[in-house]
Amino acid sequence: MSVSATGAVRLSHDEEVMGTVVSFRILSYRCGDGALLAAIGEVCAFLHSVDDTFSTWKPSSPLSRLRRNEVGIGDVPEEIPTVLALCEEARVLSGGWFDPWAMPGGVDPTGLVKGWAIEQAVGLLSAAGVEAAILNGGGDIAAIGSPEGSSYWPVGIQHPWRPEALACVIAVEAAVATSGSYERGLHLVDPRTGRLSREVASATVTGLSLAVCDSLATALAVGGDPVWERIVDLEGYEAYMIRPDGSEVASDGIVFAR
Amino acid sequence: MKKYPAVIGATLAGLAGILTFHSKATTGSLSASLGATKAGPAQAGATATKPASASQPSSTQPSDTPSTSTAPTAKGSIPPAQSSPAQSSQATVAPASPASSGPRSAVGAAEQYGYGVISVKVTVSGSKITDISVADLQTAESYSQQLANQVIPMLRNEILKAQSLHVYGISGATYTSDAYAQSVQSALTKLHFA
Repeated sequence: MSVSATGAVRLSHDEEVMGTVVSFRILSYRCGDGALLAAIGEVCAFLHSVDDTFSTWKPSSPLSRLRRNEVGIGDVPEEIPTVLALCEEARVLSGGWFDPWAMPGGVDPTGLVKGWAIEQAVGLLSAAGVEAAILNGGGDIAAIGSPEGSSYWPVGIQHPWRPEALACVIAVEAAVATSGSYERGLHLVDPRTGRLSREVASATVTGLSLAVCDSLATALAVGGDPVWERIVDLEGYEAYMIRPDGSEVASDGIVFAR
Repeated sequence: MKKYPAVIGATLAGLAGILTFHSKATTGSLSASLGATKAGPAQAGATATKPASASQPSSTQPSDTPSTSTAPTAKGSIPPAQSSPAQSSQATVAPASPASSGPRSAVGAAEQYGYGVISVKVTVSGSKITDISVADLQTAESYSQQLANQVIPMLRNEILKAQSLHVYGISGATYTSDAYAQSVQSALTKLHFA
C-alpha cells in the first residue's frame, strides 16, 4: 500500500491460484485501504472457487465429474454452463479452431476459463468502486481504467524464443492474451487432426473481453492465417503474431508503446 | 485488403529486433556497474521467501488517503480464514518517497518452473532496479542446473536493461523466464516499486 503524489492509493497483491500466480495492481482515489483489501479478498475467494469448480486436475471437481459423465449439466455449478456457452461462442468466432469439445479426455474449457475468471475478477473490483486495476494471471491480463499519467496499460509481449526478452510492448485498455507453441512444450492441439500445432510461434489478441482474447489467441496460435482474418474483421479485437520464421504481423489497431 | 496491414519486419532469429528494441528503449541507461557489487547467483541456499526487509512495520499513513466520502461498500465481508489478502498483500513498506529513498531489497516468491524452483532477490534504489540476484534455485538434475546457470544471467541482464520500459505486465509464458519474471514481479510488489 502506498499513496501516490496525486493522492491515489496504490495496492499490489499476488495470489497463487489456478496453477499460476495472479498479480493485482490497483489504483484508487475513492477507496480506502480497508475497502480495497475487502475487495481483493472477495476477488481471491472467487478465483479459488473457479479453480475448485473447473480444475481438470482435481478428480473431485464438478468439471472433472462432468467430464466422466458422473453428473449432468444440470447438477454442476452454474458457472460451468455459463463458461461452456462462452466456449461455444468462441468456437464459432474462431471458425472452429478453438474447440474445447475436440480435446482428448472430454470437454475442456481450460483455454478460456482462466481468461474468463480474470475478466470477472476485474469486474468485481470495478463493482467495488476501484477505478484502475490490472490483473495478470500467467500472461492473461485484464484491466479497468488506466494508470496514472497514461491512457493505456503498457504490456510486454514475451518473445517466443528468447525467454529473457520481450518481443514488443503494446498498449492495452481492457484485455490481452498471448498463446504460442513455445509455452509449456507444444501444448496446443489442432482440433482437426488432434495433433500438436506449430503454425504460429506467438499469437497475441487484445480486445474487450479477456475470455474472448484468451480463446482467440489459442485459436490463432493453432490456426494461423484463417483465424487471423477472422480476428481482424472482429469489432473491438486486434491481433499480433510472430511466425516461425521470425516475421511479425500486427493488425491496424495494435498500438505499440514506445 | 485488411490482411497484414502492418508488417513490422522480420527479426533475424528474433535476436536483432530485440536488441534494437532494447537499445532504443534504454538509451544507455544501464550503468556498467549494475550488480557488479553483488555476490551473484551462486549464493543459493537462502530459502527464506519473506525477508525482514519486506516486512518492516508499516508507516503508511491512512490519513493521506482520500477515503472521505465515497468509500464504496464491498459486497459482503470476506471470511478471514478462506481468502488470504492479509497474509500476502504487502501493506508493509513505507510509502513511496521516490527520490530520496536508499537501496531496498526484497526476495520474490519461490516460483516453480518445469525443471525446478527459483526465487530472486531484487534491489531497488529510488526508481531504479539496481540489482537482481538468485536467492534460491533448486533443480532436480545437474543438467537443469547447468541450463539455469546459463539462462539466469541473461534474464537478469535483460531485466536490468529493460527496466526503463515500465511495463505493467508480461503476456505470454515460458518455463524458466516465467518463473523468474514472476519472482521478480512479486519482489517488486513487496517493494511497491513502479
